[in-house]
Amino acid sequence: MVMKNPEYIIKLENVTAGYLITPPGIRSLIKTRYIVLKNINLSVNKSERIAIVGSSGSGKTTLLKVILGLLKPFSGRVFIYEYDIYRLPWRERVKILKKIGYVPQDPFKSLNPMLRVKDILREPLEAHVIRGYKESKIESKVKSIVKLVGLPEKVLEMYPEELSGGMRQRVLIARALVSEPEVLILDEPTSALDVSVQAQIINLINDIYEQFKPAILLVTHDLSIAQYIADRIIVIENKEIVEEGLIDNVLSNPQSHFMKMAVSSYKDNKNKLKLEF
Amino acid sequence: MVLAIVMENLKVGYIIEDEVFWAVKGVDLVVEEGTTLCIIGESGCGKSTLASAITGILPPYALTDGKLKLFDHVVINGQLRNYNGIRGKITAYIPQNPGTSLNPFLTVEEHFYYVLRSNFKSDREFSKKIAMEILPKVNLDSSVLEKYPHELSGGMQQRVIIALALATNAQILVADEPTSFIDAHLRLQIIELLGRLQREFKKTLIVITHDLLTTSTICDYIAIMYAGKIMEVGPREKVLRNPRHPYTKMLLETTPILGVKKRLKPIPGEPPSLGKEYQACLFLDRCPYKSKECYSDPQIQVIENSHFSKCWKALEAPWL
Repeated sequence: MVMKNPEYIIKLENVTAGYLITPPGIRSLIKTRYIVLKNINLSVNKSERIAIVGSSGSGKTTLLKVILGLLKPFSGRVFIYEYDIYRLPWRERVKILKKIGYVPQDPFKSLNPMLRVKDILREPLEAHVIRGYKESKIESKVKSIVKLVGLPEKVLEMYPEELSGGMRQRVLIARALVSEPEVLILDEPTSALDVSVQAQIINLINDIYEQFKPAILLVTHDLSIAQYIADRIIVIENKEIVEEGLIDNVLSNPQSHFMKMAVSSYKDNKNKLKLEF
Repeated sequence: MVLAIVMENLKVGYIIEDEVFWAVKGVDLVVEEGTTLCIIGESGCGKSTLASAITGILPPYALTDGKLKLFDHVVINGQLRNYNGIRGKITAYIPQNPGTSLNPFLTVEEHFYYVLRSNFKSDREFSKKIAMEILPKVNLDSSVLEKYPHELSGGMQQRVIIALALATNAQILVADEPTSFIDAHLRLQIIELLGRLQREFKKTLIVITHDLLTTSTICDYIAIMYAGKIMEVGPREKVLRNPRHPYTKMLLETTPILGVKKRLKPIPGEPPSLGKEYQACLFLDRCPYKSKECYSDPQIQVIENSHFSKCWKALEAPWL
């Protein structure tokens, strides 16, 4: 498969997505559509850092599922490079999707407890990259990626339950990076972590960006975290994108209900504590 | 001045695989009636165990030592524990996760009924009357009485839980991470609600949290807990603006604040294991200001009236 080089890496055109649900009673014979996202247009360009914010249940995670090829939208098209992924055969789609690294929300539930860290990190290499990759090359790749995310090499022999929350999150980031993706998708990467560990992970994500310049798509409901990682912000409210722009502009002049509430709540907070940093 | 909570060298621990783990390693703390105290610390530092000790929901296999007094009642005296007439009447607990803390098979009205029946043997009519009085105080109308927990949003579930705690008329409320499962922009609303109710009903409120900035907006005092011990305690403004323990200072520097974009400074290393006994300062391995004297357990230093720190360098405070 030859890839041309369009400006965007991911592009969504008029995507409407959701779930098929079974209503109660006699109506259960016909599944109905429950729409979670309506007319979403979005593009992620190379080396761009975007935060998708919105309150719980606004459809942020559903949007990620659509981008990751896990949920076919009811209508609209999802492009990764120039390929409409839901019109590709499964094998071809998987090849394209290796360009995306995904870091799920909960480090305590997202790692296979039966596998050692080294096997967790080998899986994407074996699945995606690269048949005929030499064993020694896989090993050196796994070692280098563990080092990159700031973990000691002895972690490779450990099981996830032997690791702290911060270390597990680093393993998840390493797993996403091991196949050298061009987009890194982070779903609430710090919500399950303590403040001190949260800061380590935010700094790690920024360091990785400085080093490899992948595009970053961050999903969060915490604006203070969005501000540390992203340049552009997209606000989802009532199933639609209601606000979009450079993060500093949106913070200084919020338009949507969510942003107005969030910004005023933070300002109140800061004023009450009279913080000066 | 009436003291609502007095802890004297309070220890709480568990036996895990024949080994004793002290989650709370000797806490001395006094809380005045009608004040709000925030206990702040990282996961695993013993905050929730301390909350369980105050509210009387320690598991039967927990070990205790020292003394815990709630108003005139000694509830923990060494190994002896007696929460008769305390649990639900003098203390009430606001749990961490509203989604899993409400019974999915009961309506909100039935929740009130069972809570009040277990404490005061009240009937359905009386519990409904109490519920209708309390719900408007937490900004909910009486239509939620007929609803099941899954029909409520996260914020509404949290308000119902707060209302249930208020319904018992307990004097001491302990809220364990009341905002951790709520969207960032709604956290302040819930915290302000707690603060308003505390002032209106003159309750003693203990808030357990690791969300230093949001939660501390309502508290009078802040206690910083680390590895089972209180490292610093004092009035809110003093602790936030004039931290006298390096851990407090580092916690402040590690917290992301909207509008401030400088690089965060994470605290290096990890907290010490709960299973070990240490002679040195518990923060020694992570402290950039350590010196010889830090290899012995620090004495409590009095900074000024009601501001204390458990650090040898609290008075000179080189981190300020």
